[in-house]
Amino acid sequence: MMWSEKYRPKSLLEMIGNEEAKESFVKWVANWTRGAKPILLVGPPGVGKTTMALLVAKQFGYDLVSLNASDVRNKQRLEEILNPALGNLGLLGKIMIFVDEVDGIHGRADFGGVSALLQILKEPTVPIVLAANSESSDKMKDIRKASVTIRMMPIPPRLLRLYLESILQKEGESLRVGTLIKLVLDSRGDIRSMLNSAQALVGGFEPQTEKSFETTDVESAVNAFFKARSRDEAMAILFSLRMDPQEKINAFYSSIITSHLSKNDMSEMLDIVSEADILYGRIMREQQWRLLRYLDSILVKLYRKDAAVRYSQYNLPWPLITRLRWDGKAIKDLETALSRRMHVSRSSFATFYLPYLLRCVKNKTLEMDLDPAQTEVIQKELSSAK
Amino acid sequence: MSWRSIPMKFPGTCTVCKKKIEVGEVALWAKGLGVKHQSCAEADVELDCAVCGGKAGCNQCEFMDDCDRTKVSQLCICKKCYEAKDSIVLYREAVSRNYKFPPQ
Repeated sequence: MMWSEKYRPKSLLEMIGNEEAKESFVKWVANWTRGAKPILLVGPPGVGKTTMALLVAKQFGYDLVSLNASDVRNKQRLEEILNPALGNLGLLGKIMIFVDEVDGIHGRADFGGVSALLQILKEPTVPIVLAANSESSDKMKDIRKASVTIRMMPIPPRLLRLYLESILQKEGESLRVGTLIKLVLDSRGDIRSMLNSAQALVGGFEPQTEKSFETTDVESAVNAFFKARSRDEAMAILFSLRMDPQEKINAFYSSIITSHLSKNDMSEMLDIVSEADILYGRIMREQQWRLLRYLDSILVKLYRKDAAVRYSQYNLPWPLITRLRWDGKAIKDLETALSRRMHVSRSSFATFYLPYLLRCVKNKTLEMDLDPAQTEVIQKELSSAK
Repeated sequence: MSWRSIPMKFPGTCTVCKKKIEVGEVALWAKGLGVKHQSCAEADVELDCAVCGGKAGCNQCEFMDDCDRTKVSQLCICKKCYEAKDSIVLYREAVSRNYKFPPQ
């Protein structure tokens, strides 16, 4: 079981840091009356916004109706979920609404979500708690106006160290002081990330070197993945490679297709990359971010002991890239020069004129006064057209 | 009160060191409170110890260079209280004494 879940605080007293914010929040819930402005908890990830809402709801006897970032939160969906809760108060008992990551309501999938939420915020009949990582975006302006903001700050590093040491003590584990301090600093005030990293370290990931791949570049990570001694080590590298999922897939794709592999290996690996790409496409299309956790489980299937795959940034063979880059530039220069002479745009020249020009030059029906570089480009084009 | 980091459009005087802040320099500004140098702001802030109620001794802290005291939760723990036995229990007891949380 993940430590972040196992040691999730059971009461507000078990949480560390942001004591004033907690007190203000408790006061707000204790004094809540119908029509009171909703509360907006703003703070970086892992400082305890969600935990605080869950604990306070439990301690004050509220049933929490919660919407998080993995739910589709467009106008229709918000009304479907929240209107019954707001309209049947007698039937449902004491209800508190919690909308997590409210700054993440955007895009086509959540169309109309913010305006629908604002409508509900204007006349709250139940306590409404919103949580956001940031309050600076434009769409947050209206939400901020309609609510009371409580800011939560990252936890000071020494307090994090104290907390981590208490957890390690409960688990009967220990880490070297240097490692402990590195974990605390890398977490940047995020308790959840600190506990996850500590658990991974204690569990045997990267035990020899204590080197984290989080700080290394994609090249080192992809190379380390294919050089890993075991599937578990490869999985640990994948987990710690924190980058845009699409870029992660692209890095593996370009590395595989430019490596010298047997046809079967190449085909199997490309199937796996394709599977990962389909999953990510579905995540983006349907905004089902909860599926993202399966991406690494798919990509780890690429691992083969001693696979001859090394990182490559480019997804085309090098000779082709060189030709595209340098010959493309030379042709572009030629097109620019000649389009001016013909009084047409460069794209028109390239589309309609250049093929005829090449044919005329080939048939020697046209003589043009070109400089040697341009003549060379035309000759090269003619030879490649053969 | 929130201090915002801004490039200065007009010359100002730092509220901490009372020295001039030139146009173009990046400083911290808060509505109604004035401006101060970023370095002054960091030196100015010292976190409090939740356990003994004194200062946390940020200048001697092992995290001094990495802890942005203007941006973290303002209660920490001083070295003496940290090194005491069951310091996490002491921290929780102090918090329950000083803040009103609902009964469990």
